[in-house]
Amino acid sequence: MSRKVTLEINGERYEREVEERLLLSDFIRHEAGLTGTHVGCEHGVCGACTVQLDGEPVRSCLLLAVQAEGHQLRTVEDLNAGMGEELHPLQQAFHESHGLQCGFCTPGFLMSIEPMLNTAADLDEGEIRAAISGNLCRCTGYQNIVSAIQLAATRMQDGS
Amino acid sequence: MSSETTTKPRRRASAKARVPYVGRPLPRVEDRPLLVGAGGYVDDFERPGMLHAHVVRSEVAHGRIRSIDVAAARRLPGVEHVITAADLPPVEIPVRLFPTDSSNRTLQPPLARDRVRYVGEPVAVVVATDPYLAEDAAAQVAVDVEPLVPVLDVEQAADDDAWLLHPQLGTNVIDRVTVGGDEAEVARLIRGADVVVRKRFRLARQGAVPLETRGLLAEYDADANALTVWGAAKVKHFNRTILSDLIGLPEASLRLIEGDVGGGFGARGEFYPEDYLIPWLAREIGRPVKWIEDRRENLLALNHSREQQWDLELAADREGRFIAFRASVLWAQGAYSRTHGSVLLPRLILLHASGPYRWQAFWGEASSVLTNKTPAGTYRGPGQYEPTFVRERMVDLVAREVGIDPAEIRRRNIITKAEMPYDSGLLDLDTGLPMVYDDGDFPLVFEQLLERCGYDQLRADVVRRQRAGERVGLSATSFIEMGNPGVFEQARVEALPDGRFVAHVGIASVGQGVETVLSQVAADLLHVPIEQVAVRYRDTATVPEGQGAFSSRATVWGGYAVAGAIRALQERAVEVAAERFNAVADEIEADGDSVLVPRGRRRRRVPIAELASEGFFRYEPGSASHVLTGGNVALVRVDPGSGDVVLERWWLAYEVGRAINPLTLEGQVRGAAVQGIGGALLEAFAYAPDGQPLTTSFLDYALPTAAESPNVEVLLVELGERREGDPLSGAKGGGEGGIIGVGATVANAVADALGGAAGELTELPILPETVQRLAALQAPAARGGAKPPMRSAS
Amino acid sequence: MKPAPFEYRDPRTVDEVIDVLAEHGEDSKILAGGQSLVPLLNFRLAQPAMLVDINRVEELSFLRCSAGVLTIGATCRQATLEQSIFAQARWPLLGEAVDLVAHSQIRNRGTVGGSAAHADPAAELPVALSCLDARFNIRSASGTRTVGADEFFSTHLTTVIEPDELLVSIEVDPPPAGAGYAFCEYSRRHGDFALGGAAVQLADGEVRIALLGASDTPLRATEAEQALAGQQIDAETAAEAGELAVREVEPTGDIHGSGEYRRRLTATMVKRALLLAADRDGREAA
Repeated sequence: MSRKVTLEINGERYEREVEERLLLSDFIRHEAGLTGTHVGCEHGVCGACTVQLDGEPVRSCLLLAVQAEGHQLRTVEDLNAGMGEELHPLQQAFHESHGLQCGFCTPGFLMSIEPMLNTAADLDEGEIRAAISGNLCRCTGYQNIVSAIQLAATRMQDGS
Repeated sequence: MSSETTTKPRRRASAKARVPYVGRPLPRVEDRPLLVGAGGYVDDFERPGMLHAHVVRSEVAHGRIRSIDVAAARRLPGVEHVITAADLPPVEIPVRLFPTDSSNRTLQPPLARDRVRYVGEPVAVVVATDPYLAEDAAAQVAVDVEPLVPVLDVEQAADDDAWLLHPQLGTNVIDRVTVGGDEAEVARLIRGADVVVRKRFRLARQGAVPLETRGLLAEYDADANALTVWGAAKVKHFNRTILSDLIGLPEASLRLIEGDVGGGFGARGEFYPEDYLIPWLAREIGRPVKWIEDRRENLLALNHSREQQWDLELAADREGRFIAFRASVLWAQGAYSRTHGSVLLPRLILLHASGPYRWQAFWGEASSVLTNKTPAGTYRGPGQYEPTFVRERMVDLVAREVGIDPAEIRRRNIITKAEMPYDSGLLDLDTGLPMVYDDGDFPLVFEQLLERCGYDQLRADVVRRQRAGERVGLSATSFIEMGNPGVFEQARVEALPDGRFVAHVGIASVGQGVETVLSQVAADLLHVPIEQVAVRYRDTATVPEGQGAFSSRATVWGGYAVAGAIRALQERAVEVAAERFNAVADEIEADGDSVLVPRGRRRRRVPIAELASEGFFRYEPGSASHVLTGGNVALVRVDPGSGDVVLERWWLAYEVGRAINPLTLEGQVRGAAVQGIGGALLEAFAYAPDGQPLTTSFLDYALPTAAESPNVEVLLVELGERREGDPLSGAKGGGEGGIIGVGATVANAVADALGGAAGELTELPILPETVQRLAALQAPAARGGAKPPMRSAS
Repeated sequence: MKPAPFEYRDPRTVDEVIDVLAEHGEDSKILAGGQSLVPLLNFRLAQPAMLVDINRVEELSFLRCSAGVLTIGATCRQATLEQSIFAQARWPLLGEAVDLVAHSQIRNRGTVGGSAAHADPAAELPVALSCLDARFNIRSASGTRTVGADEFFSTHLTTVIEPDELLVSIEVDPPPAGAGYAFCEYSRRHGDFALGGAAVQLADGEVRIALLGASDTPLRATEAEQALAGQQIDAETAAEAGELAVREVEPTGDIHGSGEYRRRLTATMVKRALLLAADRDGREAA
């Protein structure tokens, strides 16, 4: 059973005829062609597919595409949109701190962390670790991700 | 463009002043696309007219296939093709490393023929226009199986009267290998020793479990008779050869392309049934076919590893000096011999059993044993993590027995620099030659580790906290690693007219940053900014044959291949320059990206690109592996009520020769350490008594999160010799050392926290239940009155 | 891991939901936050013929406090509860429990009502609601009924909600001023389902203890509650109450821990929650 849906992702509208069972993660990747959002488990544990729904991080593998109609979606492709060669401060901090290796989990981390950056400078390391425990990384051991968050949060605080 | 330019003073100055890239903690050149969502992982590739495959897998652990009914699946809308073994030629996936007669008789067919031997074994493939429809149809394939008794326990499987997985073999023991000297002499030494500890150890099944599941996209061009496969990883040239043999196309017709790879860790990129099935289907159907493994499949289908049982006796004198050990190991191979065969893992296990210590004698045997579980292969630190756990546990038990500190017993037994070259009594895996430790400084690394962590103070703190009733523990362990195996690596370096250079190399990337480190090496040799160097490795059609990424080898092997190719390029440029400028070749000097041709009293600088277009080199050192060494110190706290283990502090020292890029190398070490922590406390593939896997989701196969992971303080020890003009000199590589000692270190620290009950801690992972039970055996106040470990004193 | 086909409805009002349920209740599933249901769909462990998505029913999406009673609409997100200053201040046990639910991305979507209706005995919110004697308002074509927490949870993953019924809201009375409270649990990883846990509320000599994962539903440890009523809570009495609480329970074991381990763990968590609650008792008087 299919229906027509219109989703707004990164400010763009995507109108598609899709099956109602289509997962939002599959819509984003294969209908909208935004392959920066990755699918790691399809049962809501790994966090690789995290996107922002109305500004809040959610698992796109646990939503149906039809459910996202009327909401604003944001994916990793939007983080440094309009910044040319520059990276978003969080992306830049991941780069400098070596907070990524294979890069598969990275978009999910970025989209999970970005909304909390404004307050992250006040968090201690344990709080940061708890806050990112909904995203699995198999490569980095997390330490450099924690450093990247601290670096980005400090810069954003200094900059604001 | 002038080829007659004289030396540019400005440029000379900058060349003199340039700081080498090698040795600097340089952020990676790979990062940008991965950070902005522009990576190219296998599921990001699409081809016009692409179909989607779904693999139907056995739901029974052991049984005879009576029938497979695909009629209902074929009738569903969108279904293009359904195949079973009956549709395929009778091929089997060969062993890549050290095949034996027995391993060759226990190979896996791409689809099960008359028997299924583990839950998850492929039995059919459905191809449809959409992945959802393919999964719908797969559910309609009816596989009728007559169940047979599943054989799950490795010890029972090795019994003479066990049910057989491969009756034609006549046993479930595929192969047995031994190591060390005279078994009788070892037994005699153990009988005569003052202190003997005997234990049985067990390690659970664990696996690589990369965040990206596997996937393949295959397309066949009938007109060109060319088959292209996206989704390769790790060993794409080997796999091209295997695929060529199995599918009956010449290697020249096959192109394997490696996109971005979401983690490898040894398991991903080996040749699996799907690596045959998907290309075969693409050719058969004449349309591109994509298959993306789902997570449940990934936990059933990707190689497992680590599961083994040890019986170990270790003898020492009253001062804790080691005399001998005797080990008997059963390695659980699972249902088939896969590409790693039946002897690689047993050999690796035994090669790493003796560790950095001196022994009067030792003897060990290891057998690979068939069970009705997912077949096994390598996983980061293969055959290294496990023996290190077992040995280092035993070392602590001996220390406890003789009443000395764990650090001190290691000091007394560790091979010193003065003893080198030290004949380890082992034979090199690749060459079969005696392994002589002539490299590194084991005590120095261990002492630096103890110094860095302030071991004596830590020990004093732990004792004080223990007296105050806290269940805290401290451990210090040591490990060795036989690094950098392989036979050859090749590279071709191109000089482009615009001054850039492209290095094509046969290694593989699994996310470890190999493009960056090879660019550093090349930029230093060519005296150019790193932005002017590109590294290409992805496509078998354009890169020279290579051996891929395994066992900490990509940096050093790839680096020497690239360095050699640059040298070849420079030599070629010198030859051409001699001819073109009518000069004596001996008087022409290669200088980075240029050659300097004498002209009177001055020298003219000619860019290489104007003289030569490429250089090629095959690096084939022919020598045995390096020995790398390191150690870990951990401070832990256990909660006796819940059995929780908190890792308060962690230090890891690793002698890597030289670090090409300390930033990425430390990243490797930290990541590996946390994987090892998963193996120590969380991860286990579990099975029900009927062979049903119980860990088919990320809720049950528990990878560590940031919240359970400690900060790992990494101490890279660089003892490698620096040689002028060789940016790689002294480097040993280091992708795996971070994981090797971690299971041992967690276990010993937890054991220390548990006091007298410590001897019971003989399994990995350490479950909260075990900690809770052992903590209850002995409350902290009752410390010291515990029964000592088993002792067979005279 | 893609869901099997289903028919999808997304009604806009409770009346419409009730109409759909009246007709299709038997073979439909309500989709609220979907954080438990969608994984089951993706694994194809659940294959309902119809999904009734209630996320577009605006009248169900609320969290309010009136006459001192907290009312949680069926699609109130866990994150809304977590971030609600008045709920955190006046129902701190609920706040402590919701903080322990999975991860922030899950709580952003997951609902309090969905967690209650899913009735996983190892989930935190059902245990906290049980401890707080919450009331569950359930509607069908034949009207609304209200069920207490002691009755609401029937067995593993099952409540008294009939196929044609919808959980509309949950009501929680205010705890006595300054009541001591605590939610203690242990999970192997941060955010995982806990292997054992307990919610405790202490007020005016009344002791409430609800156990997590000890049975097929959230379980009130009534024997321990009675034994402790009016007693001074110290390390000894708390430990005794822990033992008493688990005397009759037989938690189900799995690969993460045997039933016996979980029993011991639960006793420990009861003891810790009691001591923590006693420590807080009277301190946070509003």
